[in-house]
Amino acid sequence: MVTKVVAAPSLAELRRRLAEVRSVTAASCVPSAGVVRSEEARIVPAELVEPGPLSARPVGTPLPCPENLAFLDGTQRYEVAGYVGAAPLLLAEIAAGVRERTAGITSTAVVERRRLAIARPEVLAAAAAALEGVDTLPLTSEDAVHPLGDLELGRALVDAARGELERRVAALYRRRSSGWLIVDGSLAESPAWAGDPRMLGIAKSHASLPFGGEALVTYLRLPCGFRSNLFRPASRQRAPVYAWGLRLWDWTGKDLFYGLVRVEAAPTAETAALVDTLSRWILAERAPISADVRWDRLLYGIHTVQQFLRATSER
Amino acid sequence: MSADSPSGVIGRVVATELKPSTPHQFFFWTPQDSPIGIGAIVRVEAEDRTVFGVVTDGFAYSDLQTPMHAVLGADGDPGAPEPPTRRAEIRLYAAAVLRHIPEEPVQPVPLGAVHLASDGDVVAALRMDSYTGGEKPTGVPIGVYAAGGLEAPIYVDADFLLGPEAAHLNITGVSGLATKTSAVEFFLTGLFQRFPAHKGRIAALCFNVKGPDLCFLDQPSILGEEDLRLYGRLGLKPVPFDRVRYYAPYKADGVNLNTLRTHEALAANTEPLLWGLREVLDYAEVLLNRDDVDAKADAFIDFLAERVVGKQYEDNTLPKSFHVRSFADLDEFFRAIFTLLEEGRGSEVWRTHHIATIRKIRNRLGNISTRSKGLVTDDGEVNDLPWGGFEDRGLYVVDVAGIDPLAQDLVFARIVSKLREHLERRDLGVEHVVVFVDELNKYAPADGPDTYVRKMLLDISERGRYLGLVLFSAQQFRSQVQRRVVGNASTTILGRMDGDELALPSYNTLSPATRARLAALPKGELLVRHPHFTQPIFIRFPRPAVLSGREGIERFPPRAELGFAQAVARRLRALDPSLSADPILDLIAGRREEDVRKALNATVRARPDQPLAFFVKCLGREVKAETVAPRPGVRPIRTSGDPY
Repeated sequence: MVTKVVAAPSLAELRRRLAEVRSVTAASCVPSAGVVRSEEARIVPAELVEPGPLSARPVGTPLPCPENLAFLDGTQRYEVAGYVGAAPLLLAEIAAGVRERTAGITSTAVVERRRLAIARPEVLAAAAAALEGVDTLPLTSEDAVHPLGDLELGRALVDAARGELERRVAALYRRRSSGWLIVDGSLAESPAWAGDPRMLGIAKSHASLPFGGEALVTYLRLPCGFRSNLFRPASRQRAPVYAWGLRLWDWTGKDLFYGLVRVEAAPTAETAALVDTLSRWILAERAPISADVRWDRLLYGIHTVQQFLRATSER
Repeated sequence: MSADSPSGVIGRVVATELKPSTPHQFFFWTPQDSPIGIGAIVRVEAEDRTVFGVVTDGFAYSDLQTPMHAVLGADGDPGAPEPPTRRAEIRLYAAAVLRHIPEEPVQPVPLGAVHLASDGDVVAALRMDSYTGGEKPTGVPIGVYAAGGLEAPIYVDADFLLGPEAAHLNITGVSGLATKTSAVEFFLTGLFQRFPAHKGRIAALCFNVKGPDLCFLDQPSILGEEDLRLYGRLGLKPVPFDRVRYYAPYKADGVNLNTLRTHEALAANTEPLLWGLREVLDYAEVLLNRDDVDAKADAFIDFLAERVVGKQYEDNTLPKSFHVRSFADLDEFFRAIFTLLEEGRGSEVWRTHHIATIRKIRNRLGNISTRSKGLVTDDGEVNDLPWGGFEDRGLYVVDVAGIDPLAQDLVFARIVSKLREHLERRDLGVEHVVVFVDELNKYAPADGPDTYVRKMLLDISERGRYLGLVLFSAQQFRSQVQRRVVGNASTTILGRMDGDELALPSYNTLSPATRARLAALPKGELLVRHPHFTQPIFIRFPRPAVLSGREGIERFPPRAELGFAQAVARRLRALDPSLSADPILDLIAGRREEDVRKALNATVRARPDQPLAFFVKCLGREVKAETVAPRPGVRPIRTSGDPY
């Protein structure tokens, strides 16, 4: 296992230290940790790779991937440690890891964890003595200090840092294995991921939908075990990928989004050729069911990464 | 982490708010392939503290939120293929603390790495280091603790098994599966071979109360390799007891022994247990029921014991002096009293004793010799245990399996009383005697009448350790034995147990997992409680190196009951195998059975160099029956014929 545990002090220790900094007013109200990144709901029309019209296509029975599979995910949590004047000082812990499955048993292959202090530069300077040994991320804003505005900006920085850590962890894993790697989320966040022929992204979020009108109805009403046509999302993100919708569980009587995931893979002819097989692999990953409210879309392998990262988080 | 981690770490202590560590309990998790099981001893290593514990319970659970998720994940088909990823699962164990090092201050068990206990760890965990080393070690092996491929000998402290600190051993378990008898046989082997010399001499006296259980303790069994290995591991020699003497009463015929150990090859060290009036009278209260022994009867019994039995009794009111040595003599004595009173024209009192009391005692004592025929002899001949001559490491087995309960009571009471008397006087021949009694449910029940046997057992268990008199006892249901008898046992052993018995509140100190293991414990495994062990420990012991009752009966089948003459011949041939039966049969042909029996008992008791000659001498010259010729009639005096 490749593990990098930062030698930074724990968040609790940092809080103790900050309590001794005179200019910092300690805060005890802790926002909920690991807030899901919010996205704007919108329709971004995609380009069909497989010829239209958009239709529901059966993928066949679930088929476990015959090779070892690895799963990548990251976690983040942050809290307001105090204020200098009205400007907040955020402390965050981000982590990312890969767990590899061999003969049905998952074990941690790579894990990295970082602790961060995020605030306006003057706040970081005021608390510099207490923040020794912690990575700092300055909040650069032209706007006047607004505690909630700064909190939003800080949250975005934590998101970005976590994404960066996930990419780093994926790169570390690629150094030791060329096996299939399933990522929680979109591959389009990284050109390296998007171009990796043995990576799959499983997006649970449908804030950004690829179709409108009748096609959207077809997309959202895919039966269980069916997929959509392969399409190329017209994303504002950095890297092009192929994607398709896949229904993992029967949605009838529940919700249109129930059990619906967007699968992303490298934009290659091989992906187009393997789309049904890949879909069957993912269908096979429906079980066991994750101990999570999003279990209809959260693959168990991904869930184990989240469990591991949360379990090993130093509070 | 795998179970064979090179660091030897097999788990980690975990403590949560709901399941915190305490000074006496902790939880730890292990990999799924860990060799840990219920009863395993573990060592927790933390900074500045080592803690030893024994696993008392185990838990496994997965991250499955609800069983419904399992159904959904399999699409409702239990036969669906296994999912590609195995669900995360935990093996969590609860352990009870055996020992903290350092012992003070007493603190909760710290979070730390968990190791399987090694030999040295087991010694430390069970505090065996305090009595297995040093100049005067007192450790006695009772089995091995085995877990996770490791195996360590377990010793109990002789000071706490045989006194003076504490004493007695009690074993509970279902019949046939708990190996109670085998366990006691093995413990006695360990005790005889490893009892420390500085503690003195030791002997054991076993009451065989059922079938052939203890009838072959001097005969070797064939042991398997595993048993031999265990003997080696415990430093014991797999040999049977070499100084065993068997005692069994006769059957009612007075010549066939009332035991299943009647095979000719075993006759050399099997002898009759035969008591006379003197032996019985001292324990009359055992034999007379409580209603009989009122103050008047008690006074008359005392009078008999102190003034009459075994003494030359002179009384002017009686037609002659009496020397009462047997039941027959006593009966003659009684008859003389009754004759006197009957001739005394209305007098109903003899020497302040009312005739009704005398009659009652006569009836009861006469009844004893009838009900205990075979044990109690009418003719005064006695063959008893070697009081004063007990051998070091000697094993004395008294077979009471086949005799009347009344006679069993008498045997228990007298033997235990004699042991106590001699140990008090320090003239038994040994300083420690282990008395083994099985079937305490029968002999010391929690309910029922307060019998003399129960009183004796209670007396041993409460006061025996000061004398060196130690009770090893066994029963099926501990809950149904007199509480003070089992409660005084410092070493308590549980074999395979009955589920209903384990469900009783008295077993609540054991964890559910321990109770479940006890309910299905294989033969040869036991749970041991000992004063030095903070928690009970599972052990394994080898088969005893002696023949079991069943094996013994197969190899040495009891001889068919013989006719009087044949039985006498066999008893004599047991003393001298070179004797042939025919001359003996010729010798006793036509002789009165009482005379032959008396001569035989005298010979068996004396064990002379020339048994036949001795027997002939005891038997005496045959007095031929003669036909008495009728006296010639008295001739009438000749007269003149004139009547006047």
